[in-house]
Amino acid sequence: MEHIFQSLAQFWEYTGFANCSWQNLAMIGIGLVFITLAIVKEWEPMLLVPIGFGMIIGNIPMFPGLNIGIYEDGSVLNTLYQGVKQGWYPPLIFLGIGAMTDFSALISQPRLILIGAAAQMGIFGAYLLALAFGFAPNEAGAIGIIGGADGPTAIFLSSKLAPDLMGAIAVSAYSYMALVPVIQKPIMLLLTTKKERLIRMPVPRSVSKKEKIIFPIVGFLTTAFIVPSGLPLLGMLFFGNLLKESGVTKRLANTASGPMIDVVTTLIGLTVGASTQADKFLSLKSVGIFALGLLSFVIATMSGVLFVKLMNLLIRNPEKKINPLIGNAGVSAVPDSARVSEVVGREIDPTNHLLMHAMGPNVAGVIGSAVAAGILLSFLG
Amino acid sequence: MRRILASVLILLSALSLRAQNVSDLILSEALACPDSTGILDEYGRRGGWVELFNKSTGTVSYGGCFLTDDRTDLRKSPIPKSDLRTKLGPRQSVLLYCSGNGADGTFYTAFTLAPGKTVYLVSNDGRTVIDSLRIPLNLPEGKSVVKQARDLRQMDFQTAEEPAVPTPGILNGSGDGASKAEAMAAQDPHGWTLTIVSVSVVFAALALLWFLFWLLFDRPAKKKDASATPGVTKKPGMTDEVAAAIALALDMEEDGDTYAAIAAAVHLYLADRVHDSESYQLTIRREAASAWNDKKLNFRKLPR
Repeated sequence: MEHIFQSLAQFWEYTGFANCSWQNLAMIGIGLVFITLAIVKEWEPMLLVPIGFGMIIGNIPMFPGLNIGIYEDGSVLNTLYQGVKQGWYPPLIFLGIGAMTDFSALISQPRLILIGAAAQMGIFGAYLLALAFGFAPNEAGAIGIIGGADGPTAIFLSSKLAPDLMGAIAVSAYSYMALVPVIQKPIMLLLTTKKERLIRMPVPRSVSKKEKIIFPIVGFLTTAFIVPSGLPLLGMLFFGNLLKESGVTKRLANTASGPMIDVVTTLIGLTVGASTQADKFLSLKSVGIFALGLLSFVIATMSGVLFVKLMNLLIRNPEKKINPLIGNAGVSAVPDSARVSEVVGREIDPTNHLLMHAMGPNVAGVIGSAVAAGILLSFLG
Repeated sequence: MRRILASVLILLSALSLRAQNVSDLILSEALACPDSTGILDEYGRRGGWVELFNKSTGTVSYGGCFLTDDRTDLRKSPIPKSDLRTKLGPRQSVLLYCSGNGADGTFYTAFTLAPGKTVYLVSNDGRTVIDSLRIPLNLPEGKSVVKQARDLRQMDFQTAEEPAVPTPGILNGSGDGASKAEAMAAQDPHGWTLTIVSVSVVFAALALLWFLFWLLFDRPAKKKDASATPGVTKKPGMTDEVAAAIALALDMEEDGDTYAAIAAAVHLYLADRVHDSESYQLTIRREAASAWNDKKLNFRKLPR
């Protein structure tokens, strides 16, 4: 009988109840909030559900040494986590993004590319702020990339520059991407006048198949030669797009943009979530990362909108003016930020559809953030 | 247009030539007075040597270049141009023995080394000094003077102050110095330099993309639109053949729905050009009968 009690007591030591701490419960609570937001509010459910559940998985209190935790070498979770740690997943996601992205909006109005460049100011603004708050340059670079509003890029860069902060950076990036409508709208309204919001943009010209095929090749050569360190992301993005546009590799494009990206998104979300173990995640640094991440989104949105206003000053033909409401779309949260442009634009003029125009800077933002990540990697990596 | 493309090609060619330039060569190490452990040349002699290092990522041919220890005689010791072995792979080094007799072979110089001397590497034009390495007067026997790589990725070299143990054929510098981030923290503590450079590069990359697409596609397309007959709203892809096909389809069809669908599609097409090339095709999907929804297809076919 005594032996039974001893065994039960020993078993108790292995249970989550015996090893539980308030930090674990806090993280599980955050995970549940993520899942709730994803299901109830439908905010980025494809990401927040895996991340939220991953947070719960990663924070189940356990007896150490069982070789099942994400940071324990050889465990299943650790093996899956290597895709994040070594940076395999983000390029694969970029392959899928490339295979599902239509660059027509950008090709038909090449000038909108510059908005995608301007919005990257969020990255470097956050970099400057992070340095001012005492982060090391490599940490500041990894935090700054949150302003690119691109989860895979944020994971890729932080895994290279500041692996210890990757969990907080990834969660911050994805959280703010989900909150794009909440963050961007007030800034857009604050920085634009009613007259500017009513600007109707010229209808984009049609884009030929030839242009669509040439775009990924020229785009890749141009950007990769300037920033070779962005090769894994840029190469996969443009390769995926070539698969889509070539018209002769439909099966590959379908796989890249369908099952493959789904699998990788599931794994990346789950493992990033699981990597936020309370002892590594709950720290003052994480709070700083979340604050700076928010600021980076604000700066990026402001830069995009203000840059469009600046462009309008230089455009003499009133018919060619750009509606500054598409400036926010320069961050690469595709297509959420473009959708925000459309929604805010229609609030003031229900017949003024900005979605198609906003997709231009939106996809330019994807390229821009990959280029910016490459630059930071070459300087700080 | 052609001139611009030609200029771009010339620029790219120039860049590619630059990438394989002899200016990427450095004198990375030199030993003037060997001790008993010094390496032997092909003749079994133990003497001084200089190490030539290619810090570029491309192969560089150093045939035709010169080595000298005399600033007034830059062509003192020519390196044979015809020898195929005078190609140096990326991040590779080669030893040149300072035997005092250039006739000993391709890898031998016409001068000897001694403390206090300076060795010069001269370009194949015989005038431009690419690099130099001074051998300190107090260099002990068996020690070499080296250029250490402060940053192996940047290939940033600096002459070491202390005499070193000779490492012929091995890249000098362990790369254990300050990391890039630490170096950045020291050089640019507030981050403004990196920010300005990075923003400029992002803008340059995307502006170049914009320029290329404006040049290659946007401008010709707009020119084409402008040259179209005024008053006629003919659109690209809207050929007479397409119009004839639509008319033919209308003649053959008596169904009002078809008319409505075609009219709506044509109206959308003409009124709103927010479409890509696929939209030039008018497509009407019919409900195709299949074994799932049409009973007669499931009937057994009996022989007549």
